[in-house]
Amino acid sequence: MQLRKLAFVVLLGGLFASGAQAQIKHVEMRVEGMT
Amino acid sequence: MQQSLKRQSGVQDAVVSLRDGKVDITPKEDGTIDPSQLLKATYDSGVTVAEMDMTATGHVIHLPSGELALRVEPNRTFAITPNDLSKQLEPLVDSSTTVTVRGQLYTKAAGKIKGPRPALKIVILEIQGKS
Repeated sequence: MQLRKLAFVVLLGGLFASGAQAQIKHVEMRVEGMT
Repeated sequence: MQQSLKRQSGVQDAVVSLRDGKVDITPKEDGTIDPSQLLKATYDSGVTVAEMDMTATGHVIHLPSGELALRVEPNRTFAITPNDLSKQLEPLVDSSTTVTVRGQLYTKAAGKIKGPRPALKIVILEIQGKS
């Protein structure tokens, strides 16, 4: 039973971690007309 | 422009390099950054954006139109312009695999665009990883 709970917690953690990673990491622009 | 960009939602930091006309934007981890807002804020500062690139990690999905797209949290989706690299993402549609890609979101059009700016689409330039 404990093992099942542990497996469930690990699965949930993995899902949340995967969602949190799905993000914009960096944006870069090349611009013109800057003084 | 730098201050204007820093005030945008989801922006952790913005660094402007006057020498090479480059702007580096670091997003906050809350995922609320919106590239189209950054584009608008830059134009509103009186500066023309020649090109905008983005590095993002996300899931590959199919849009209802059948187009391939990259979904990043929270629920932001960028349609993918088909090219040789995007073909490599096809097998990952609706899988739990996350991909990290670098892509071009915007290039300045040759003529003046009339009407509303179209939604940003990503042209994949590099697939940096899959997990």
